[in-house]
Amino acid sequence: MNLQHLLHQARREQLTRRHFLRDCATGLGSIYLASLGRSYGLSAPAVTPDPAAPLLPTLPPLTPKVKRVIYLHMLGAPSTLDLFHYKPELAKYNGRECPAEFLEGQRFAFIQGVPKLLGPQFEFKQHGQSGAWVSDQMPYLTNHVDDLCFVHTMVTDQFNHGPAELMVHTGHANLGHPSMGSWVTWGLGTENQDLPGFIVLLSGGQTPRAGKSVWGSGYLPSVYQGVQCRSAGDPVLNLRNPAGMDRDIRRAALDTLATLNRQSEAEFGDAETATRIAQYEMAFRMQLTAPEVMDISREPEAIRKLYGATPGRESFANNCLLARRLVENGTRFVQLFDWGWDSHGSNQEEALNIGFKHKCKQIDQPISALLADLKQRGLLEDTLVIWSGEFGRTPMQENRGGSEGKFTGRDHNPNSFTLWMAGAGVKPGLQYGETDPLGYHVAKNPVHLRDFHATLLHLLGIDPHKHTFPFQGLNQKLIGVKPAKVIHDLLA
Amino acid sequence: MPALFRALVAACLASLPGLAGEIDFNRDIRPILTTQCTACHGGVKEAGGISFVFREKALATGDTGNPTIVPGKPDQSELIKRITSSDPDLVMPQPEHGPPLKEADIAKLRQWITEGAPWDEHWAFEKPVAVPPPAVKQQDWPKNPIDHFVLARLEQEGLQPNPEAEPALLLRRLSLDLIGLPPTLAELDSFEAAWKSDPETSWQKEITRLLDSPHFGEKWAANWLDLARYADTEGLGLDRPRTAWPFRDWVIRAYNADLPFDQFTIKQLAGDLLPNPTLDDLIATNFHRHTQANAEGGTDDEEFRVTAVMDRVATTWETWQGITMACVQCHSHPYDPIEHEEYYTSLAFFNNARDADLDEHFPLIPVPKDPARAADFARWLTERKTLAQQLHQHQETLRSASTWHPAAKLDASSQQVTLEVLPGDGNPEFRTASNVPNNSIFDLKITAPADLPVVSALRVELLPVDPETALHTPEWGSMLSQIHLHATAPDGTESKIEIARVIGDEPEPFFDPNDSLRPNGTGWGPYTKIDRPRSCVLILAQPLALSGNSLRLTLHQSGNAGGAVPLVAKRGRIFLTDDSRWTAFPTDPAVAKSLARIAEINRALASNTATQLPSTQNLPVHLERPTHLFVRGNWLEKDKRIDRPGIPALFGSLPGNAPADRLAFAKWLVSAENPLTARVVVNRFWEQLFGFGLVETLEDFGSSGTKPSHPELLDHLALRLRDHHRWSQKAILREIVSSATYRQSAATTAEAYAADSQNRLLARGPRTRLSAEAIRDHGLVSSGLFAPTLFGPPVFPPMPPGGWTPFKSDEKWNTLAPGQPDRYRRALYTYTKRSNPYPGFATFDAPPRDLCTKRRVLSNTPLQALEALNSPAHAEFAQGLARRMKNEIHGDLPAKLAAGHRITTSRAPTPERLAELTALYQKLHSQYSADPSLMKGMAGTPDGAAFTVLASVLLNLDEAVVK
Repeated sequence: MNLQHLLHQARREQLTRRHFLRDCATGLGSIYLASLGRSYGLSAPAVTPDPAAPLLPTLPPLTPKVKRVIYLHMLGAPSTLDLFHYKPELAKYNGRECPAEFLEGQRFAFIQGVPKLLGPQFEFKQHGQSGAWVSDQMPYLTNHVDDLCFVHTMVTDQFNHGPAELMVHTGHANLGHPSMGSWVTWGLGTENQDLPGFIVLLSGGQTPRAGKSVWGSGYLPSVYQGVQCRSAGDPVLNLRNPAGMDRDIRRAALDTLATLNRQSEAEFGDAETATRIAQYEMAFRMQLTAPEVMDISREPEAIRKLYGATPGRESFANNCLLARRLVENGTRFVQLFDWGWDSHGSNQEEALNIGFKHKCKQIDQPISALLADLKQRGLLEDTLVIWSGEFGRTPMQENRGGSEGKFTGRDHNPNSFTLWMAGAGVKPGLQYGETDPLGYHVAKNPVHLRDFHATLLHLLGIDPHKHTFPFQGLNQKLIGVKPAKVIHDLLA
Repeated sequence: MPALFRALVAACLASLPGLAGEIDFNRDIRPILTTQCTACHGGVKEAGGISFVFREKALATGDTGNPTIVPGKPDQSELIKRITSSDPDLVMPQPEHGPPLKEADIAKLRQWITEGAPWDEHWAFEKPVAVPPPAVKQQDWPKNPIDHFVLARLEQEGLQPNPEAEPALLLRRLSLDLIGLPPTLAELDSFEAAWKSDPETSWQKEITRLLDSPHFGEKWAANWLDLARYADTEGLGLDRPRTAWPFRDWVIRAYNADLPFDQFTIKQLAGDLLPNPTLDDLIATNFHRHTQANAEGGTDDEEFRVTAVMDRVATTWETWQGITMACVQCHSHPYDPIEHEEYYTSLAFFNNARDADLDEHFPLIPVPKDPARAADFARWLTERKTLAQQLHQHQETLRSASTWHPAAKLDASSQQVTLEVLPGDGNPEFRTASNVPNNSIFDLKITAPADLPVVSALRVELLPVDPETALHTPEWGSMLSQIHLHATAPDGTESKIEIARVIGDEPEPFFDPNDSLRPNGTGWGPYTKIDRPRSCVLILAQPLALSGNSLRLTLHQSGNAGGAVPLVAKRGRIFLTDDSRWTAFPTDPAVAKSLARIAEINRALASNTATQLPSTQNLPVHLERPTHLFVRGNWLEKDKRIDRPGIPALFGSLPGNAPADRLAFAKWLVSAENPLTARVVVNRFWEQLFGFGLVETLEDFGSSGTKPSHPELLDHLALRLRDHHRWSQKAILREIVSSATYRQSAATTAEAYAADSQNRLLARGPRTRLSAEAIRDHGLVSSGLFAPTLFGPPVFPPMPPGGWTPFKSDEKWNTLAPGQPDRYRRALYTYTKRSNPYPGFATFDAPPRDLCTKRRVLSNTPLQALEALNSPAHAEFAQGLARRMKNEIHGDLPAKLAAGHRITTSRAPTPERLAELTALYQKLHSQYSADPSLMKGMAGTPDGAAFTVLASVLLNLDEAVVK
């Protein structure tokens, strides 16, 4: 069977499944109350999903451009000054002491004394029709620049990893708020009821600083929290039956369980009992579906090669391939976290000239493969891929403890960083926003994370200002209470 | 049940018609104002200068100059003109904000104004009033006044209460409700037998037994810990472990001892301010030390201190008052009459706690491992505090009595930092002229004034760079980790001058200032922030005759905050004195005696094994922080200063005869003046027992929360708790579980369910899913594995592979081997890591305890099924229950299975159910016998394997996971 044939078949199966879900499920799921949403007043949540089937797909109130999201988060915050945001002026002043006006009133994590400016560490060239500047650390990705929508003027409030990661994913710097994926699945449900709607995949050997809170559901019901899946070992926690319980025995046990529970339902008339019976059946199906979807050895070798994926390992390449399989199977929100981008220059792994280059190698090919694969399957038409860190890095070389280290590195910079998007709803080949000559602060068109959140929800067909849930006396929103706007210039 | 439907039911319940022709403000008018008007004319914005949150504002004139409401004269009221206007520019609500008001609502508003526009405070802000229990028709049903309130309402709706539940299910309900554990077979046997002869006495006996059980406190502590946002780690950044468990144990003991709720409140909010506090009083103040902290490198301690203080405000108001105060940090309350500034008067109660997001979690109190030493510890701590304060007073007196001479000339140099010296009007000071690195050493060359031939002491004064802003937004501080002094002769030869003591400027600093005289010490300094001039005195061992020599003072500053921010002084001055009293100070008999006693106490404390627990303590008065209003809640943007802590004017004011501090605030919360506390507390009990509160929104008693389903019952219970039972929580629980309402069967028919699916009218008994904690505890008891030990450090039950992935990979989840008792402890003892909650609990809706959780919303998901079927902990429960059925239960197979059914559901199976179970057993038994490889890893024999699968079924029954 050739690749084209495989792709065709996969696409057909996917369409069939979607057709089934659209015709059979829509209308039964959440009741969307966004039209009742007010900024204040009676605190009605924007959405009231049916607790018996809280993840059934729902049509959003606005016409969606995006149906699924893959978010690639590079934990530690990669230096976009060395990847996608070319600053020739910075190159010119490389090695000079940073002008005092840049240090005045700034809060740094580690920089002390007067640091030196650090020019781009790699060679930049223009690529594609759009002429995007990309450094030589992303050779594969240069082939896709015309699909990418670059935002060079992302701004956050936070300059430490934990709070900044929370800012990116929950819109707040403190724990306890729902993540984007939770807000989205709460509002829209998911297309495949045999899989979680919001899936998280990790690589790089470490979890985010802020822990599982970055995919937590906060004050939304816990059913909307991200479910961490694994490309090695059990794909979902507790998915495997205990020893001695094979699938036939489990089936027999569940049959008896269901029979007894139906008797309880008849006796007590409790609607939750019926739901419980259904959830046990769904768990049984998930035991089959999840490992299938998560098994990348089912992919043709050519596809695995495209990504550089190796079955059985936990790697970013595997996770990119999994992300495609998941969105193809109807998962609403897939979040990839890759650890290892905190290039302070304090050791080899954190050196721009060493560790950073390895990290670039680990992601360049898989991301490029993911974009190509989604495109060739037609999935990029309604899937949005997002790439970012949690903040930017300084144009100054870090000098932790007041002196320059052996390795080259940059400190944290919340004032500007680059994020890119590709796929549904966004302008391909766009370079948005301008920073100052050093790439330190925004000079024109800032995009605060709140604006980004507003834009993302808008693309999914959700009014970011009306997507609210009452908590602590406030109709809480992903975009928070400070001004936030949809950046229409980014929209296709 | 969908929230929408719930809301509709609530709305229907709320809109029972009143007497025609009589307008009730809270029933008829406030909902119109809250839903239609206050979004623009309320606490957040007062469009057109009009607000409908306060009566005086509603009666005032808006920007148009026309009075909004003229009592008695609807036609002169701008409100009526605008809601009836046909001009799109004038009509309210404005077309883009919503449709015009309904005719009925306009009529109500008109009538209300005609009747004089009387304004009642929102019900929850009026004090509860006792109402005699209403008369009922079915007089043989009520068992106590609660039932009168419930039945009167049912009769009004034409509904019948359910019959009493069968005794087995009653005991199950009671046991799970009061102690969080299911009844054992022996307990069921004895109760069922006793019930037959005397139901009432046997029921009361069970209530007594369970209220007296040591497990009572564990069940109710778990509930309280949600409110206290209790966790064993600090939260953000590195989420490092932070000792908290002695507080958890205190809560358990408090419930077990039935500590009255007023005491329970005062100790947690202000135990440190009680006269001669016991160690328990101090432990209780850990309540407000569960706020998130951030130890990640480079974080601003003040930012996270402020966040923690704001969290304390939010948590206190939500826990005790059911009021959402957090929203008032940015603007006035959108719909409740609380002004923006009043948030900050509330915050001022909490703003002078000494803790400040420090890595060491200061201030700490030692909690002895041996509880018998607690009284000694408390006595020592109080004595040490008194001595330290006396010493401090003594030093301060001397300090102000001495004449301090500024240096005649000051030179400052450093290899790490550029230093400059400003003449400072005869009072020279050094300043840093560059960013400061770690490990900075300053050399200060001091020339004494000519008229000062002898020096007995030096005073090092450190200053904020901007003293004005630092007072409300402090700067990074510094630590003088080592201090050296030399005398330099005119020819350059140097001799070392011995410093006898370093005296700081607060009674009990976190670090001993004399560490500055020792290598590798922490030393003296403003840690980690400086908000005003701070100083220390260096007493020379001998008075030094200068004879033309200058002094060289060397300040080593190797401290840092969070491993990142160097704690290096940016500005300072040196003063000298020749006052000989300093030389005598360390050897003054009174001083020496105090110092010796403090050292003795410290040795005594150190000789006992103890746990260091973060506690709440206030700053010394002279270091108190001024509280300012934050512009839109932004801590970096300060507005006017708040003079005095206080409660919102809505609630009156604190008694004027005591200081307005946390203690006064705590006492007010539990006083008869407070309209909310008792209602909030009984409502929470009701929710725990019935699955929902009389006020469904446990978290919001304000005007946007739901109204009580039975307002008179709520007030009746609140007053019984507060006045009759003097805040005894056990007594009020006994009253509720003694009621006929509580004892009803939970069974319902389709029609009854459709009529009131949420059971708000209480025509049937409660049937709710077990909490995350109870799911585990139920499994432990059913399996026979349960280790009933109370108290102690957190434990680590089995973790599914892949479930433990902390940020710091060296932090281990140490599950003990099978058979070790600590593997089988109750859920509430499980290590609670905020960034990595125990998966089994998170799946069953336990909150990560990041913030105060008022109400858990229960879900029903496939992941719960996977957890209860497959997780290592639950698989072990199945094996345990299988062993019990196989080995401990005597009789034939049906007898064993029936006992298993009774263990997990508290009642015997029907013959039909037993037949199903038996059939499954036989089928599995033959399968395992035919192919023994199937049971590998589960059991050694086919019957063991078959029992294990049956046990898993029994543990997963719907009836086993509900109460």
